[in-house]
Amino acid sequence: MFIVFLWNLVYNLNPISDSLIKRTILFLSVLLFVVGCVRDVGDSTSEVNEVYLTYWCSPNQQEIELAQKVVEIWNDEHDSVKVRLQPIPASQSSEEVLLAAIAGGTTPDICSNMWPGAMSDFIKAGGLVCLDTFPDFYDVMLSRVPDDLLESFRAEDGHFYQVPWKCNPVMMVYNVKLFKEAGIEKPPATYSEFLAAARKISKDIDGDGKPDRWMGYRDIKPIWWQRLFDFYPFYIAATGGGTLFKKGKLILNNPAAVKVFSFFQRLYMENYFPRSTLQGDQFLAGNIAVQFSGTWIVSYIERFKREDFEYDIAPVPVPDDYRGPVYTYGDPKNISIFSTTHHPGYAWEFVKFLISKANDLALLRKCTQIPVRKDLVTDEYFKEYFKENPKIRKFAEQAPYTRGVDGVPDLKEIFHIVSLEYEACCIYGVKEPGKAVQDAERNAKVVMEWNRQ
Amino acid sequence: MRKTGFLLKEEHSGYLMSLPYVVYFCLFVAFPLIFSFILVFHRWNIITPMEFIGLGNFERLFHDVQFFKALRNTVIFLLIHIPLQIVVALLFATLLSQQIKAKGLFRAIYFMPVIVSGVVVTILWMQLYNYDAGILNVLLSKLGLKRVPWLISPSWAMPSIAIMATWKNVGLYIVIFLVGLQNIPGYLYEAAEIDGASGLQKFFYITLPSLNSAMVLVIILSTIGGFSLFIEPFVMTGGGPMNSTLSAMLYIYNQAFYFGHMGYAATLGFSFAMIVFVVIIIQRKIVERK
Repeated sequence: MFIVFLWNLVYNLNPISDSLIKRTILFLSVLLFVVGCVRDVGDSTSEVNEVYLTYWCSPNQQEIELAQKVVEIWNDEHDSVKVRLQPIPASQSSEEVLLAAIAGGTTPDICSNMWPGAMSDFIKAGGLVCLDTFPDFYDVMLSRVPDDLLESFRAEDGHFYQVPWKCNPVMMVYNVKLFKEAGIEKPPATYSEFLAAARKISKDIDGDGKPDRWMGYRDIKPIWWQRLFDFYPFYIAATGGGTLFKKGKLILNNPAAVKVFSFFQRLYMENYFPRSTLQGDQFLAGNIAVQFSGTWIVSYIERFKREDFEYDIAPVPVPDDYRGPVYTYGDPKNISIFSTTHHPGYAWEFVKFLISKANDLALLRKCTQIPVRKDLVTDEYFKEYFKENPKIRKFAEQAPYTRGVDGVPDLKEIFHIVSLEYEACCIYGVKEPGKAVQDAERNAKVVMEWNRQ
Repeated sequence: MRKTGFLLKEEHSGYLMSLPYVVYFCLFVAFPLIFSFILVFHRWNIITPMEFIGLGNFERLFHDVQFFKALRNTVIFLLIHIPLQIVVALLFATLLSQQIKAKGLFRAIYFMPVIVSGVVVTILWMQLYNYDAGILNVLLSKLGLKRVPWLISPSWAMPSIAIMATWKNVGLYIVIFLVGLQNIPGYLYEAAEIDGASGLQKFFYITLPSLNSAMVLVIILSTIGGFSLFIEPFVMTGGGPMNSTLSAMLYIYNQAFYFGHMGYAATLGFSFAMIVFVVIIIQRKIVERK
């Protein structure tokens, strides 16, 4: 009938009979009603017999494979509670998708790609389930996570909305062969050692007047999250595990931040780091000696490296006068339950299953990412894995000495401001490090003040 | 006589026919516009409730150094882009209006970048502009010239983007000028030849004045296009180096979607739209008077 209507519309436009229009509207209404009813019947039938939970995992291939395996095991073991897996829909960042999902009320029951830096808005919007209302929350958590680390994830209202799951400590990954060729025996541990190594490694090999081998490389675009992989790990290391805030107060303008800015400024001014965008993976090509990266890089290197490519891992360098354990940025990703769930109890059971020892081992094996678990390297259960993977062990040893980001709503803007000052000072050298850090803190405070007015 | 509803009466069927567009207009034009205007007076990050702040967003705008820098950058882009666009488009349109072989093929080639996705063009030009391995710098080095820091120098980055944008859009303006050129009566040139006018004189005294309406269209279109500069800095430079390519649109986008300041972004959007509106009106008056 609809086709007849269209046919009339196109070939017999004037006049269209009233009855034809009426019949078409009636037909479409009936069709919509029937389709709607069929869908409702299907849903209600399934709801009566089984509980369905929707689980969003990170969209990277390895984590999708891990999640598929975990969900498959869960579904085999649980007849009445089934989990449907969906990788987080494609976007610029997971946080954007989750924000849109909360706004639209389309959040999943569980998500395992929660960045602590974005939690404050989600909590404020009432989008997350308060996890410490589950009676066994503290027992489960304290058997897995060190007290102080768990505390760092406590929200401003005193409750917990995230389960610490995994981390990717940012460390220095270096090309052993390039270091040996330059006569460097051990990886640089301080700024002076790093600069001395950079002096030996960075050079113009083909004699065209410009360097073609560099100590390191970082994306110089002033995008806020890029600073999580250069400025921020060095800042955490230089402050001995400090973050940008202390007791709710921004403390960026401090001597450690100035030292980090000065260090990076020298790296760019003395051409140890290039300012341009390099094409292809220049680390694997042997033109870059050092990368600052999380654990995931190991599986990437193993997959794409040449046979004779040798690499190793060391903590990020610290200022010459620094003493104590070397901390770094942990890039943590946690698990949360969304308040749109109809089955918080079942969702909590699935979360506990996700963080079981067996699944933590699977996380190591499939994704080479570090589960947030105390005594990870000494636990017999993981011993064999670390024996087979000594490079991952180095990341696991670093894991207790990591810090995340502060759970403040203005975090992205603060990092953006740091990024602009970092660019002016370190990359283009048009600002003194002390002035840049001072301006960064002042501008960040202006933005924070405005956001709270 | 059959009873019929108001909309089904033949003389009123126009309302029924226009209903789809009215629905579209209400949903995708009127509603967003009204909603954005409401946002101007609020603070809102999509997921938390809206908070009325009166003229607070305007107060912030007047103190926002970065927004004024973004406006300045956009004007710099326009000052490079529009004259370059007109000169190149006019040059190629004049050449293509001559009796040359494979004219159709050349017209198609010049138009091709217009229909290619902006992101694709931008990524391609990023490769061309690469300081170390880009073909442009490799060619310059082979000629014994210094490499140009196309996208990594604050003074070069915006001109580089303007050159790329000109390459991408010039095909459209060539077509507009070609139409204008084809509408110039041939007898004007014949009369000028009889009077002994040179080629340049014919161009300046016949061609250019006759292209006035095409020129107005090109200037207005490229001004509007220039004001909406977004993809190129977003993909190529992220607004850097040192904010030198931060366009007004990119800044508004960052405020809305990176930092979640929907109300402030709406304020910036409305203010920017007013600026564009005023510029277009002034521009039109000036060009039409000439």
